[in-house]
Amino acid sequence: MTAPAAVLDSPLRELSYAEAIRDALAIALAEDERVVLMGEDIGVYGGAFQVSGDLVHRFGEERVIDTPISELGGAGMAVGAALTGLRPIYEFQFSDFATLAMEQIVNQAAKLRFMLGGAVSVPLVMRFPAGSGTGAAAQHSQSLEAWFGHVPGLKVVQAATPYDAKGLLLAALDDPDPVMLFEHKLLYKTKGPVPEGRYTVPIGKAEVCRTGSNVTIVATAIMVHRALEAAEVLAQEGIDAEVIDLRTVRPMDRETVVASVAKTSRLVVAYEGVRTLGIGAEVSASIVESEAFDYLDAPIVRLGGAEAPIPYNPELEKAAVPQVADILSAVRGVVRGTR
Amino acid sequence: MPVEVIMPKVDMDMTSGTIAVWHVAEGAEVQSGEPLFDIETDKAAMEVESPASGRLHHVLAEAGSEVAIGKAIAWIYAPGEEVGAPPEGSAQGPAPETPGKAAAGETTAPRPITPAPPAVPDHPAKPRATPAARHLARENALDLAAIAGSGPAGRIARGDVERALRESGEQLPSAASGWQPEGGPLVVHRAGGSTGAPLVMIHGFAADSAGWQKLEACLPTERPVVKIDLPGHGRSPRRPVDSFRSLARMVVEAFDAEGLDGAHLVGHSLGAALALALADVRPRRVASLTMLAPAGLGPEMNGALLSGLARAGRKESLAPWLKQLTAEPQIVTESFVMAAMQARKDPALRAYQQDLAETLFPDSVQSFDLTPALDRLAIPAQVVWGRKDRVFPWKQALQAPGRVALHLLHDTGHMPHLEAPEEVAAVIASRLQAAAGQPVVTPAG
Repeated sequence: MTAPAAVLDSPLRELSYAEAIRDALAIALAEDERVVLMGEDIGVYGGAFQVSGDLVHRFGEERVIDTPISELGGAGMAVGAALTGLRPIYEFQFSDFATLAMEQIVNQAAKLRFMLGGAVSVPLVMRFPAGSGTGAAAQHSQSLEAWFGHVPGLKVVQAATPYDAKGLLLAALDDPDPVMLFEHKLLYKTKGPVPEGRYTVPIGKAEVCRTGSNVTIVATAIMVHRALEAAEVLAQEGIDAEVIDLRTVRPMDRETVVASVAKTSRLVVAYEGVRTLGIGAEVSASIVESEAFDYLDAPIVRLGGAEAPIPYNPELEKAAVPQVADILSAVRGVVRGTR
Repeated sequence: MPVEVIMPKVDMDMTSGTIAVWHVAEGAEVQSGEPLFDIETDKAAMEVESPASGRLHHVLAEAGSEVAIGKAIAWIYAPGEEVGAPPEGSAQGPAPETPGKAAAGETTAPRPITPAPPAVPDHPAKPRATPAARHLARENALDLAAIAGSGPAGRIARGDVERALRESGEQLPSAASGWQPEGGPLVVHRAGGSTGAPLVMIHGFAADSAGWQKLEACLPTERPVVKIDLPGHGRSPRRPVDSFRSLARMVVEAFDAEGLDGAHLVGHSLGAALALALADVRPRRVASLTMLAPAGLGPEMNGALLSGLARAGRKESLAPWLKQLTAEPQIVTESFVMAAMQARKDPALRAYQQDLAETLFPDSVQSFDLTPALDRLAIPAQVVWGRKDRVFPWKQALQAPGRVALHLLHDTGHMPHLEAPEEVAAVIASRLQAAAGQPVVTPAG
């Protein structure tokens, strides 16, 4: 983790991922009166995943606004607010419901700066609770980040740790353009060190969480933790894995990935979104299109979600997305040359 | 229904195996439990038994080919069973017969027997290789077609090219130092009587079968004794050796050609490692294994001594090295040195042995690890080691599992069979008696 020196001086405390986001939201609300939170049930109820919590009591209903149950309407309101000078942060209850708001996100927020010749910008932040593992079935468990990564004009971010969740949210607010933050629901309760006060984590910069020499595992969100767990097991077997947390899906930090694969010669990509036409394809392509191609010594393996809606049955739900065992077997295969 | 023969998983992290040799020819009869083929993995070679009795058909994987575990490689038809079409590819078994849709009156002719296509098509013109392998080969002007790939379907990885580069580098000095590769079987010396199970002896590096003389004199005389000369040693041809495995294969060939059963193996140093490898692949034809100061149980070794021995071209340069082999230098007499030099006077033999040392013991490291084979060993086995061994540290013996007997000899170096022939003979004799069902008499002393 890279943190500015001033931040390191402040005491480090443990916060959950959800608390770290709330911390960032509170800092933003306190620092900048243009910042407003919008979303369904984010007020008195505290948000579907209790991320906004008590913020309505601390900052009032004019700053923490419950919106009607219409994602299209709420998102449109947020885009308009951003266009006219506010700094809105819009929360979806589930990222799946973004399907209802696509017009506002894709056709308006992402396009307006370009279509108006740079005369305006849309400094909008949207938060999407995403991913499976909660038994919420097919319409509440998807990982759609790659969809948004396909749209020029949007930035798409996935924090894996409480530290990054706070730092990336504050960086998103500083950004003049729309930033989509995908938050894996299983991470909300995970804890980690989070400094007090303001700091940012750069958007568009991946992090090497573990250095290694035999294989590169590029992972996003919860897969970062599974990859790190797998790496410890692999270390016992003499396989030295490098784990990269991609952190930003768009713009993707190809340099960090290319440099790593040029060193390790092998690549496994682990992500929760459906495997086909996903993040893994983009990471793989950036390797085979780069100078790292000549260093590849094994086929690239993409570990992504199954080609199916996320099942309700908890065992099938687990089977539908990569687990530690899948990462282990993929890495063993590419390192031992049996795959 | 024919019984399918699949590539078994014989090793924890094995994902594929290479078929070393088929013991049964296509169409030949085989009994359940008989050896059917040998497989080689990264770590070991072993024999696989036939899962059924009958005739072997549709052999899909030839010797030398690598097959994923669980994949069907052949089928065994019960006696009298009609040989049908080759079943489709994999472990799912033969494809079901198409139900009789044939027009009335059409006779059901047996379908022609053609072997199913191999799972991965051959592209001899275009080798399968990773980008890294291609890059390295291009930079070094190496032809990929000449490189054997170790990956699935023969895919060449960077490591394969690196190996090829090392080998091409090593071949130059060997050609310059003037030994010509030769062919033909290893030379086997037969001695002793004709009663009882045979003793098979495999000498060590830079030695030959004559080195067993002192030990033989202390052993019972009625048994047949078979002594194998390693390639480029004694009178055996100078066959190119690219790895421990290829050397072991030559020894197995020589053993097989003798048609021995219930053999008691005795090996010294490198020969002990080869005897262990032999016992590992021919467990049914080996009754016991005695390893004298074996190689292959750890990486450490005295590389200077080994290369000094291989290089020495005069008795003056040979003697100091020879004296390091034994605990008591006076065992190495002037006449012993002269005899040893006589056997080594051919510069081509010395050049061959230097190259062999570099292949097996690169950078003074024992490149092969036989501890997994030792762990697998089910026959009675014993290790004899001199506590003053200056070639391999005797503590490598502690790698052996508990059921392997360990005899540590005092005041003995790397040559127990020369330094303490009576003790070594007693250790071997006790094993022979145990195998023959006689009470074991512990030698006095």
